[in-house]
Amino acid sequence: MKKRLLSWEGLLLAAFATIFAFNAISLPQFLTIPNQINMFQLSIEKVIVVLVMAFVIINAEIDLSVGSMMGLSACAFGWLFQQGVDPVVAIGLCLLIGVLGGAVNGLFVAWVGLPSLVVTLAALIGFRGLARVLVEDRGITDFPDWFDALGQQGLIGPMTFAMISFFTLLVVAWIILEKSAFGRHTYVIGSNRDVAEFAGINTKRHKLIIFVATGLVSAFAGLLYAARVGAVRGDVANGFELDIITIVLLGGASIFGGSGTLVSTGLAILIVLNLRNGMALHNVTGHIQTGVIGFLLIASVLVPRLDLLRRITKKSKGQE
Amino acid sequence: MKNLGLLGVAAALMLGTTQFAYADAIKLESGKESKMILLPKFLGILVFDQANEGAQEAHAELANPGKLEFLGPTPENSVAGQIEIMTTAATQKQGAVLLSNNAGDQIAPAAKAAMDAGTKVVTWDSPIPSGEGESVFVAQVDFGSIGIVMADMAHSILGGAGEMAVLSATPDAANQNAWIEAMKQALATDAKYKDIKLVDVVYGDDQAEVSYNRALALVDKYPDLKLIMSPTTVGIQAAAKAMQDEGLCEKTKVSGLGLPSEMVSYTMNGCAPEFALWDFRDLGYLTYYTAYGLASGQLTGEIGETFTAGRMGDYTIEADPGRANAKRILMGPFTVYTKDNVEAAAK
Repeated sequence: MKKRLLSWEGLLLAAFATIFAFNAISLPQFLTIPNQINMFQLSIEKVIVVLVMAFVIINAEIDLSVGSMMGLSACAFGWLFQQGVDPVVAIGLCLLIGVLGGAVNGLFVAWVGLPSLVVTLAALIGFRGLARVLVEDRGITDFPDWFDALGQQGLIGPMTFAMISFFTLLVVAWIILEKSAFGRHTYVIGSNRDVAEFAGINTKRHKLIIFVATGLVSAFAGLLYAARVGAVRGDVANGFELDIITIVLLGGASIFGGSGTLVSTGLAILIVLNLRNGMALHNVTGHIQTGVIGFLLIASVLVPRLDLLRRITKKSKGQE
Repeated sequence: MKNLGLLGVAAALMLGTTQFAYADAIKLESGKESKMILLPKFLGILVFDQANEGAQEAHAELANPGKLEFLGPTPENSVAGQIEIMTTAATQKQGAVLLSNNAGDQIAPAAKAAMDAGTKVVTWDSPIPSGEGESVFVAQVDFGSIGIVMADMAHSILGGAGEMAVLSATPDAANQNAWIEAMKQALATDAKYKDIKLVDVVYGDDQAEVSYNRALALVDKYPDLKLIMSPTTVGIQAAAKAMQDEGLCEKTKVSGLGLPSEMVSYTMNGCAPEFALWDFRDLGYLTYYTAYGLASGQLTGEIGETFTAGRMGDYTIEADPGRANAKRILMGPFTVYTKDNVEAAAK
């Protein structure tokens, strides 16, 4: 198991190195600082949510509502701002919405025992509906300058607040998953919930915490999006959940739970960002970009199964 | 004294107009190199392909050695995709981005950054609502006049009285929203429309299947619905097909903005007796001339500047009456298609 993961990480590293080298050689603008910043900035909200989604998937659950929560948080901020609420208070309220939304998901999954696929699909529709009710068909813009600047300008050198948040969260998530009891429990519950229960782990509380954290981080990411684009509408972050889940799966986390690491998730993030940036700079259109990412996902699901496939064919040959 | 003042104003105005009238139109010098990107709302819609044909025609005419790329996002990823392409264009040091905006004001920071990096942003079809990060908007027709034309078509089809509903594109499309608003105003202000009742506005997201289903849902919800007005080429075609498939054309007619080639059969069989549109090839052509003039430094983009756009003649940059602090070039006019002229236009 460990060996397979190690080799998967090696494979991802090789893929990343190849794409990076190709970009660097074929594109004179690629290695410039503004382009590297743009590359992260364009997807920064998604990759921040990827970090918590890794916990959800390793824990053998799924959260389809993250994109809608990002949208709800951004729209709630726009709406509150328009009602004259102090922006700092509005930010606090939006993060609270994230916690509450995540708690609803977590309660239904852990205590009521409904599949997370169903619960979070309902939340996907519900949160999006709320977002659209709040801002109706309008766009809300003209946020305070400091808010827009936070999303658009470098805070430490050229590094934006969102990028600093991402790298900080990456380190924090890595420590929690790899070095803490909470991380170990995440794997154990994801592999086999019954075993975890027998071992005395409070699986309900554990799952609740993960869903609340996911709601909170999604709400935070939604605010970052609002600051980066300086405007919100009902369709903010629509469909982001698929890109987010794709990156986690590409990172080698099993959709059935129990496996995956943050190192390979981080590599998957780098692969997708570099690939997108390279394709965009090479003027590749949207449809082909989507196709390439889709192919990559299929490959990432198939390749780990290749040795299994080989064993099956060997066995059938031996029987002949 | 008062009169004198007025005279002075009048004289100044006359002077102003004469100056405009005699100002020479700038003839753009061809052969200047500038890379450009034509960025539609998303790919896979015929009118955007037509706009591209027009832009490519102008590109060849002006012998620009730089490349004109036709680049767009997928419909599902329209907003993020447009922002990404705009951001990348600045990195690539493109001379200009020709944008049909689908991202509302969300694209403004990226467009502003592109302008700061020296990339001109010329919008067409759908502008940036705040006008931020935009050099100039090439408007297909005056947004207010579209509202009146739609109201007039409704009046003619309904015979002056009846229920109608609007099937639009996405809820956030700045152009469609402005036209619907203009139509509502026309309906509310002119007494001749007093018996026309607008019962609902729904959105088909500019996707054929969604629009088709929305059209059928409208008929179910409003049993007395006489007309579906769709100010988008995708919506009008889907609605006409839905009415035809369900045999509802006698009861509920379809009108709006459509392409003759896509609408000809529905106009001939009476499902969509009247619709209107402008030429998207011309729109792409004029937008390219504008962008080329700005990117090559031959136009400054100031209000009052007049230039010659090849075969289409002279155009002047003016203040946009619909958006404060924004500038536009008005292309206009457009054609109303009926049984009499649709077949010729469809060829």
